[in-house]
Amino acid sequence: MKLRFAKEKFLDGLQQVQNVVSTRSTLPILSNVLIRAQKGGVTMTTTDLDVGVRCPIDAEVVREGAVTLPARRLFTIVRELAHSDVELDVDDKNVASIQSGGSHFKIVGLPEGDFPQLPKLSGAKSFTMEQKTLKDALKKTSYAMSNDETRFVLNGILLSLKDDKLVVVATDGRRLGLVELDMDLPKDTKGELLLPSKTVSEVQRLLKDKGSVTVHFTENQISFDMDGTLLVSKQVEGVYPNYRQVIPPEAKERISLERETFHQALRRASLLVSEKNNAVKLHFTKNNLAITANSPDVGESRESLAINYKGPEIAIGFNPAFLMDPLRNLENDEIFFELTDDLSPGVIKINAPFLYVIMPMRVG
Amino acid sequence: MSDERWILHVDMDAFYAAIEQRDHPAYRGKPLMVGSPPDRRGIIATCSYEARKFGVHSAMPSRTAGKLCPHGIFVPPDMKKYSSESKLIMAILGDFTPQLEPISVDEAFLDVSSVRNLLGDAVNIARRIKERIHRERNLTASIGVAPNKFLAKLASDLEKPDGLTVITDENKLAILAPLSVGKLWGVGEVTRQRLESHGLKTIGDIRKAGVPSLRSLLGNQAEHLHQLSLGNDAREVETESNAKSIGSENTFDVDTADEKTLRKTLLEQADEIASELRSENTAARTITLKLRYSDFTTITRRITLDSPTQDDVTIYDRALALFHAEKTGDKKIRLIGISTSGFAPPASQLDLFDTSSEKKQRLAKAVDTIRAKHGTKSIGRTVE
Repeated sequence: MKLRFAKEKFLDGLQQVQNVVSTRSTLPILSNVLIRAQKGGVTMTTTDLDVGVRCPIDAEVVREGAVTLPARRLFTIVRELAHSDVELDVDDKNVASIQSGGSHFKIVGLPEGDFPQLPKLSGAKSFTMEQKTLKDALKKTSYAMSNDETRFVLNGILLSLKDDKLVVVATDGRRLGLVELDMDLPKDTKGELLLPSKTVSEVQRLLKDKGSVTVHFTENQISFDMDGTLLVSKQVEGVYPNYRQVIPPEAKERISLERETFHQALRRASLLVSEKNNAVKLHFTKNNLAITANSPDVGESRESLAINYKGPEIAIGFNPAFLMDPLRNLENDEIFFELTDDLSPGVIKINAPFLYVIMPMRVG
Repeated sequence: MSDERWILHVDMDAFYAAIEQRDHPAYRGKPLMVGSPPDRRGIIATCSYEARKFGVHSAMPSRTAGKLCPHGIFVPPDMKKYSSESKLIMAILGDFTPQLEPISVDEAFLDVSSVRNLLGDAVNIARRIKERIHRERNLTASIGVAPNKFLAKLASDLEKPDGLTVITDENKLAILAPLSVGKLWGVGEVTRQRLESHGLKTIGDIRKAGVPSLRSLLGNQAEHLHQLSLGNDAREVETESNAKSIGSENTFDVDTADEKTLRKTLLEQADEIASELRSENTAARTITLKLRYSDFTTITRRITLDSPTQDDVTIYDRALALFHAEKTGDKKIRLIGISTSGFAPPASQLDLFDTSSEKKQRLAKAVDTIRAKHGTKSIGRTVE
């Protein structure tokens, strides 16, 4: 195999795929990137057996062929090259020569045949949507995924397809982020697709602000085709909890808040929470919101915001990090905070199909 | 600089094997394995340094050890002897400072900050401890001296056996940087793999990554691990008197692999612990499972919850999950136990999917009341 390419194009490609590279020493070839040059073009592929990514790169094919090379090493070599024009020549023993300006490297690869193929999703169903729409939905929800390994079904995101709707849900059991999108789904497209967290972060990285993405899915696999760049992943096995039942039907009080003002105030208040006492208290009284935090051994903080509120007095505690997560990931100027009482979930909404349910903390 | 902290981590070298070699001159200078014999299932609890040259290490299956080191001597463990030896060693350590935290039979932390003026600097104290252990018990210890527990434990491991290693605020970053992330306290196998799969292989990588990018990988643990990567660790040496764990363990009359028996025992223990937590009006964030197998190898596995608990079912579920993760299969178990630590005020964070938490609290209260009247055994849960 022999290729000529521009350093930047090659690095771009490697950057797309190299996050997936496995470090499991049991299968050294998983640390490699598969480079395949054919008449139709050049592709790079990596996989850790759970997630695999393949992307096309811009290169001139001098001689067709394929090889796998250590991804991280290749990346650092190409990155350090002084010249833009690079030539990669691989002999039949899988030794790659990299030539650029006065620099010359030889690196030892492994044969293409040993590289696990990305699974083909046979009998898959599919749907297509704007990349930007999916990217935005993941951004608005993914922070609510769980890191708790004992709740592994929650270590990811649910894409629920039903009745011409795509619902994107993430929860860690204490808060839940949800985006509901109207879709034009092929007839009878139904499914509960559970993406592992690694897949979520890779898809988020690969999605662009333009172009479309086609999602194929089977019982236990899912793939995202983003204008030629393909990500294939296993799904999380298990049944996602019934998220519908934790969304409160309607709240007694709907309070309009300026997102950025509320966010800043919470950030200041949260400076005085401690591990032992990690709640901030929101105290709603007539046209006023007082945010307080106090930790007996640290100190206390208090901040008042003028708001438009006519309802009964409510004092409710929340983990400030959980309150700030959606505020940081939304762009709307105004949010609506719906509350019932101090032990019922609060709901954050915006003027768009998004909602965030957050459980309060008991405060003394 | 009177507020400087100096912590010692004392780690006995090949403890069980060293005791056997001391007591049996015939074993000295020879590869000695303490654990199951090589022709049976089971593993090596400890082996002498002579055996380590053959590639044998603790927790290795005895059969493998027998193959690596066919002329080695295999002896069964004598826990009674080791435990009384341990008491004698701890007594020596206790002579230097009451700020003593034994963490197992052959390991302890000492906070010597306050006795430094009396006894000379920390290194000097460490040297004297080694001398006394050697003179009075004819055993060797490796000691790490550092400004905190994490670094002290790391240090004691750097120059085994019979080592004395000092890590200071000045050299800590250089020492930490090339070490594997697995050396960080709290990084188990799963976390290590996750970190490595994101290119974070050394402690230096963790330090450079910074908290924000770690948070996406590690969640709440990010801050903690980043602090460790900087060589910071604020944990105090916990003496018996301010012991910070509530637990329960049982040794079986007959070693067992019967899952139902084990589950029943765990449930009883969880119940007992939860009751005690409630009566102390506190809750625990860390749940530790302890298992001792027939061959006396002892393991502990822990998990930290997102929010503190005082609920028996939660403690039981998590302990059982840790147990299942061990895949003990038909390996016989001699002792099983749960302990809880990391106390905080009772869970204040409510759970979305667990609307019964209020009900559970009322139930627990009722159980506590009945027990106060009619005794602990009057009411309890069963496993099906």
